[in-house]
Amino acid sequence: MNTIKSLIILSIVLFAGNVSAQQISSVDLQVTGLTCSMCSQATDESLRTLDFIETIEPDLNKNIFVLTFKKDKAVDFDQIKTKVEDAGFSVGNLDAVFNFNNTKVDDKGLAVAGTNVYQFLNAKDKTLNGPVKATLVDKDFMSGSAFKKKAAQVSLESLKSGSGMVNGKMTRIYHLSI
Amino acid sequence: MRFLKFLLVPVAVAMGTIAVQAQELYVFSEPASNMAAKSIGFRLTNEGVFSPSFSSRLIPELMVGFNKNFMLHGQGFFSDMDGKYKAEGAGLYAKYRFLSIDEVKSHFRAAAFARVGTSNRPTYSEDINLEGDNTGLQAGLVFTQLLHKLALSSTLSYSKAFDNIGDKTITGMPEPDHMLGYSLSSGYLLLPFVYKNYNQPNLNLYFEVLGKTNPENGRSYVDFAPAVQVIINSRTRVDLGYRFEVTGNLENRYNKNMYMARVEFNFFNALK
Repeated sequence: MNTIKSLIILSIVLFAGNVSAQQISSVDLQVTGLTCSMCSQATDESLRTLDFIETIEPDLNKNIFVLTFKKDKAVDFDQIKTKVEDAGFSVGNLDAVFNFNNTKVDDKGLAVAGTNVYQFLNAKDKTLNGPVKATLVDKDFMSGSAFKKKAAQVSLESLKSGSGMVNGKMTRIYHLSI
Repeated sequence: MRFLKFLLVPVAVAMGTIAVQAQELYVFSEPASNMAAKSIGFRLTNEGVFSPSFSSRLIPELMVGFNKNFMLHGQGFFSDMDGKYKAEGAGLYAKYRFLSIDEVKSHFRAAAFARVGTSNRPTYSEDINLEGDNTGLQAGLVFTQLLHKLALSSTLSYSKAFDNIGDKTITGMPEPDHMLGYSLSSGYLLLPFVYKNYNQPNLNLYFEVLGKTNPENGRSYVDFAPAVQVIINSRTRVDLGYRFEVTGNLENRYNKNMYMARVEFNFFNALK
């Protein structure tokens, strides 16, 4: 009886640990229009106000910020974008390294991982495990002209609006290209 | 001839080898880009002329970025241009960015701005300077284009003068009414060649062309305004510039052949 109890507790702990474990290990964030270190500094300090960011490592020559995240906090890509725009600039590119753990991508390319819903543009009907590097191809996560091209290539309603029906609920969907 | 060569060679080498980076923190004009949202900046500007005798003006200025598109400056004007150092007036400047087209290595931004200034100085020129010399209003548009390594900005404005506080118009002197203004600015990042961290100082060079025309009679001037700028710790900015008249027929201009020295401190995320 005690053994069963212990097993139940252990599985709860493991399951809970699984849920809260950080799924996104790092992000390479490219910011456009930075012309001086003061602009980079303003962006850096704006990003630092986000409570889920652990470290920011700037590459001032390439205008790329490498972000890592706190283990117990959910990463909000939209907030990252808002903070860059608050500093007066735009996101040019966002590459993220996801740590998938048995994440199922359905026949339409849709996957739920942690609190986020992802639509894969070039993966379906498979199970993802381990680190996967993907590029976010949503509006305002790349230059306006690049997004227009992408939206014309991919005929997905959710890419244009940024959201779609998931389990009967209107949900924010991030679009990923592996 | 040999002396000329000595001068030209380093310039040519510099032009050829330095990967010139664009810079748009203009000294004599404002870019269409805004300061960061929720940040506060403080500026102290000293400007002055050496002729007919040395006189200078001190302008403390508080700048607030309310959101990514809207910012406001408040200024105070103090000078010894009428004898002793005294307060002349105050000014407000607001800028709203209404267009941003951002690509990876280029951007185009457009902003509208408005300025109101007061002054208790006597007027003796048809020129209008709302930063200390005149009471009036100004409105205009700024367009800034960053194209790889060149940042160009252009400003168009209209200024309307009202009677200065105390209405000390000097009889027989030209009276200010309205003015059209324009400017073309360019900026380059000279140092560092390669960034290592935020603490490295940046050295920037600017060249601006500033002009004004009285639409009533066509009298006008064009100034060239070179400037150098150092950015320390990525948050403190020091500017040193000089504007000189290249051509013009406006009498008794206030800011003819004027130097400008400025220090600016920035506090990011200062507002909640």
